Amino acid sequence: MSGRSRGCVSHALRTALLLALGACATTGGGQGDSAQKLPAIVDPAIRAGAPTLLIAMPSSVNFMEVRKSLVSEVQSKFNVQTFIVGPQTRASDLAAAIRAAKPACVVLMNNATMALYRQYQMVPSTDETPPVVLLMASFLEEVQPLIRRSTGIAYEVPGITAFVNLRLVMSGAVNRVGVVYRPAFRRFVERQTALAARERIEVVSTSVPNDFSPTVLRDALHRLASGKKLDAIWLLNDNALVRDAELLDDAWRAETTAAKVPLIVGVPNFVDPSAPLGALAVVPDHEALGLQAANLIFDLLDNHWHVEGHGVELPLSVKTVVDVPMFRSTFGLRPDALKHIDKAME
Amino acid sequence: MRRPDHLPGRTHGRSLAFLLSLAGCLVAAQAPREALADVAKPVVHVFLQLDVKASVVEKTLRDRLPGLAITVFGRYRDFEEALGSGHPDAIVSIAPVLTDKGKVPTLQGERGGKTTEAYVLASVNQVLEGSLSGKNIGVVDLFGRDGTQTFLDGLLKTTDVRVKRVAKIEDLLPLLEFSAADGIVLPGSTMAQLAERTRLVIKTKEVPGPPVGLSAVAVLNPAVRDTVVKAFESLDGPTKQLLGVDRWRAR
Repeated sequence: MSGRSRGCVSHALRTALLLALGACATTGGGQGDSAQKLPAIVDPAIRAGAPTLLIAMPSSVNFMEVRKSLVSEVQSKFNVQTFIVGPQTRASDLAAAIRAAKPACVVLMNNATMALYRQYQMVPSTDETPPVVLLMASFLEEVQPLIRRSTGIAYEVPGITAFVNLRLVMSGAVNRVGVVYRPAFRRFVERQTALAARERIEVVSTSVPNDFSPTVLRDALHRLASGKKLDAIWLLNDNALVRDAELLDDAWRAETTAAKVPLIVGVPNFVDPSAPLGALAVVPDHEALGLQAANLIFDLLDNHWHVEGHGVELPLSVKTVVDVPMFRSTFGLRPDALKHIDKAME
Repeated sequence: MRRPDHLPGRTHGRSLAFLLSLAGCLVAAQAPREALADVAKPVVHVFLQLDVKASVVEKTLRDRLPGLAITVFGRYRDFEEALGSGHPDAIVSIAPVLTDKGKVPTLQGERGGKTTEAYVLASVNQVLEGSLSGKNIGVVDLFGRDGTQTFLDGLLKTTDVRVKRVAKIEDLLPLLEFSAADGIVLPGSTMAQLAERTRLVIKTKEVPGPPVGLSAVAVLNPAVRDTVVKAFESLDGPTKQLLGVDRWRAR
């Protein structure tokens, strides 16, 4: 395979990826909803003459947080209509909502909603294509080219952000970070490696095949951690890498403990002093994401809705969860660390 | 070691949401007790751009000022919303924010004998010289969209910069790391913390606009004026320093 062809994901594969991701990582918390009654969504009163922003989203907690922040920012300039996307929603339902709203701009949240919208766009139509802002989806850089007139904000926390936050917590230096990835994440890791270099952090990466066994993962982590002088290991938000307790215990926990390096994770429930695994979780700040989305929409408005050329943005704001005892006992805790932590687990 | 059977095999987003939901329930269960304890205490809302988490500032102030019901807001929209619905007896923010809300400082903070400080324009590798027309400039959202644009225009003495508002002061650094902004504007006193957390080569210059007022306290309810003033004047040095001042001057 040539280098060029290796670097490209085929259109068919990307489409499959988009559809597959519809049920994947960024479902936004459906399980949590059963334990918490969500507030009803009430759109602001419609004002004559104002352009309409149509938000298509699942009705779960993380999406609601982003919507609330976004609406509070844009409601002075836009009418807002919210269309809830659930498991039974069809592309034709979304199409009807778009035709009824005649939006100046559409916001799509999560991969499933984007997959529906992609089906809607594939049907020949004389309707004018509105500009689209994509939020809270996995692999957004790969998804965005599949949707006409779209831009958006990536959901994955960039490695550079996670590493700089580790610097604020750990007393030692953060110069080299190891990462294990599957082939689908290669381009993501390449982008993160280039970004981290701006902060003079070297990302040392190694790949495992899609069908890796626990032993293969453990060996990869062992090779990374031994002799590479790593200051941390970064666990990507790839479900396959943490698919069962055996992987977590025998690979991630065993190798990071033996190597005495902090594990940076992307979900807070991996940080638990009673079952130590992740030392630091760095997760998206959903309210701030709403503000960033509003800024993006205002930028597009000011630019006469010229979406083309407006690349996918990276998320600016995060929250941190830290296993404080682990840092105190093993890695060293900076004296002022607690000032910079959103949630200190003791 | 306990096996993490509860850890997810499929959906991180769901797990994150579940934890956040649980946290919300715990907070909700605790709130009435705290609310009862805070009855009759003067309500004080605090909104400052500090390189310290709002929760840390809130806990510190609640510990040091037990006679006041303190809420610290990390984001402008939350502060603005609560100003209308929460009926605070006093608010603490930088002087221009108080002025923007039509409030008059009762106590004005000082640092090094001054009640204002210069803001700086920071950029990567080289100072941003020449016209800023069309440049993307990051700044913390202190006044909402239009107000922050006006504030920045005044600081930079121009009218056509493109404002990149961020929710928190620590979100300014990613703008530079991602090359999403040409520069950022922030209080000069916060540059040391910024320089400490990054290896980017940051260059700064003072903005041409006037210096900006430091933290101030505006008492909105005359009935609690003495209580609030005495409480803030009694703060120890480190806590005043946390708020960006070293003493208060009565106005």
